[in-house]
Amino acid sequence: MTLSHIFRKGLWRENAVFRLLLGLCPALAVTTSAENGLGMGLATTFVLVCSNLVISALRKIIPPRVRIPSFIVVIASFVTVVQLCMEAYFYDLYKALGIFIPLIVVNCLILGRAEAYASRNRLVPAVVDGLGMGFGFSLSLFVLGAVRELFGSGTLMGYSVFGLGYEPLLLMILPPGAFIAMGLLLAGMNRFDARSR
Amino acid sequence: MSQQLYLSSSPHIHSGETTSDVMRAVLFSLLPACVVAVYFFGPPALAVLLIATLGCMAAEVICQCLMGQPVSSADGSAAVTGVLLAFNLPPTSPWWLTLLGAVIAIVIGKQVYGGLGSNPFNPALVARVVLLISFPVHMTTWSLPAPLGSGLDLVTTATPLGVWKNAVMLTGHAPPEMQAGTLSFFLGDMPGCVGEVSALALLLGAAYLFYRRILTWHIPVAYLGTVVLLSGIFWLVNPEKYPDPVFHLVTGGLILGAFFMATDMVTTPVSMTGMLVFGVGCGVLTVMIRLFGGYPEGVSFAILLMNAATPLIDRYTRPKAFGMPRGEGWR
Amino acid sequence: MNGMPRMILVLTLITASAGLILSLVEAVTREPIAEQRRLETLRALKSVLPPTDNAPDADTVQLVIGQDRRGRDLVRTFFRGRRDAELAGVAFKVVAPDGYSGDITVMVGIDPIGTVSGVEILIHNETPGLGDKITRPEFKGLFAGRSLENADWRVKKDGGEFDQITGATISPRAVVGAVRRGLEFFRDHRAEIVATQEGGMP
Repeated sequence: MTLSHIFRKGLWRENAVFRLLLGLCPALAVTTSAENGLGMGLATTFVLVCSNLVISALRKIIPPRVRIPSFIVVIASFVTVVQLCMEAYFYDLYKALGIFIPLIVVNCLILGRAEAYASRNRLVPAVVDGLGMGFGFSLSLFVLGAVRELFGSGTLMGYSVFGLGYEPLLLMILPPGAFIAMGLLLAGMNRFDARSR
Repeated sequence: MSQQLYLSSSPHIHSGETTSDVMRAVLFSLLPACVVAVYFFGPPALAVLLIATLGCMAAEVICQCLMGQPVSSADGSAAVTGVLLAFNLPPTSPWWLTLLGAVIAIVIGKQVYGGLGSNPFNPALVARVVLLISFPVHMTTWSLPAPLGSGLDLVTTATPLGVWKNAVMLTGHAPPEMQAGTLSFFLGDMPGCVGEVSALALLLGAAYLFYRRILTWHIPVAYLGTVVLLSGIFWLVNPEKYPDPVFHLVTGGLILGAFFMATDMVTTPVSMTGMLVFGVGCGVLTVMIRLFGGYPEGVSFAILLMNAATPLIDRYTRPKAFGMPRGEGWR
Repeated sequence: MNGMPRMILVLTLITASAGLILSLVEAVTREPIAEQRRLETLRALKSVLPPTDNAPDADTVQLVIGQDRRGRDLVRTFFRGRRDAELAGVAFKVVAPDGYSGDITVMVGIDPIGTVSGVEILIHNETPGLGDKITRPEFKGLFAGRSLENADWRVKKDGGEFDQITGATISPRAVVGAVRRGLEFFRDHRAEIVATQEGGMP
């Protein structure tokens, strides 16, 4: 498998949100706008790449029986780094994402990649895997956020799309809207795959 | 031996009654309430009825064409959904709100699950709740009835339940003028959704359905009985704060819900016991939401929540299977 | 080296280095974070106070406004804005406990004689599309220029002169009531709030 294969599989074929259905908690909860989705996605990507890097580097040193605690310590440390940096330099985004920043620790995607990929592969593929999976995750959250923001607030990245007369379909930025948008996008993706096969 | 044995699983007897027969009867039974709605609210109510019905039928045809399925709009189930949706909207709903509701009912409430028979939730109620949450201002702007020929314009006001809830939140007890108008509430002379206002017209329609044996008594009786019992207890404890059971019965679409929404064959339990459980659950939830919830009106939420519980109820109220060893039922 | 000792060693090393990295990051971000939090308060203060040339968040006075359920003192902080060392306005937070869902925290700014110069909604959980319209400028703008003397502090529906929002009465009613109580507290304790330590740190 070439590096570009490893990178690309995270974008579509093994997309975290729409194919593996991992990391749904942040994917559903914070995607009330495209910006929030993107911010959450990039924060997760950073943690994922760093943890894949460290875990791959330490894979021969960590004894198998304590690997899960070790992974969690590594992941939690990077999440705390992200949290502190975000509060210091991107305060508005930090406020918007709230509790979901610390909750990146329990994002199954990250522990899943650590266990399934980084702890069994060499450094470079592990980092590329993290990047691909992370970008796929960010892309999914961005699209989900964009769809919900477009219909739920009538804006995209904060810019008004439909003009002043538009009455937003508020449900879309409320929790049920997350599930409905997610289901419809998933159906669309399956349809696309079925067509192209 | 030219004749071969024909093997098939049950059911073996077809009553001869088809889906479209049932739907036509339901549509007919909804007619009196339509007439009352148009009498009290005039052309706006007629517009809501037409847009919702035609919108639902069109959405169904388009959906089924897109999915490459046989078009089944002729069976009338989309039309029933449309009329019921219109009954659940304020008569002053703008056209786009009604149309959007029709599309949501058919697409998200029904076709997404695989069409008639596969939807877990009542499509019309799904649409109503989506609209209520999304456009709270439009969906809670009511108007006083202006009977045809009276020359009155529709005037914005609150529903009886809304007035009551507001008064309780503000002063801690019910508004004094509330208890007077029970009879006019029963006839339909009150602000509310297109089809919920006249308990009398709805009961006429329900009686027809009973006569045709399309409705059974279980769900409506269990539902209304629970509401009367529970609200009666609260009313006896503190008549200052809680309205009496009759008020509960005739306001807020309870009759509409109990006879036409909570009895939807697709989304409610199949066994008699299950139906009773379903009705009692709806009643408890309705009273709880009305008395203690954030919304003045609880029928649609109650029915949807019990729709969600229907598979569970069906599972626990499965009829006994005869001819099986003890303890070995259907799986 | 295998088995238990190795596990202990590896885990210890990992946690120790994690701790080290975190303490470094914390040291770097401590200043900016404190600054961000301060800026947030300052932004709210700026939007409710008349123009000032001091730092209102450094010129505060704290008063006990009552007891909570366990008998502990509830303290309210009054931020004082000055211009040319003259008191230009006072800002403080009030909490409306009777919102539609949960408390509404409001920052209120008033001039020295008790006329509102601005309000800002800091924290709320009101219904999106209905109650959350209290954060709209049209609603917040209703308060400027009003005082206990020149206005009837009730929403229109209750006979006062504050427009409620179409479809929502409870949230505006809660906010109006909370601001009124804040103004009353200011009127009753004006001397303590205004008088102490001219221009100095508390």
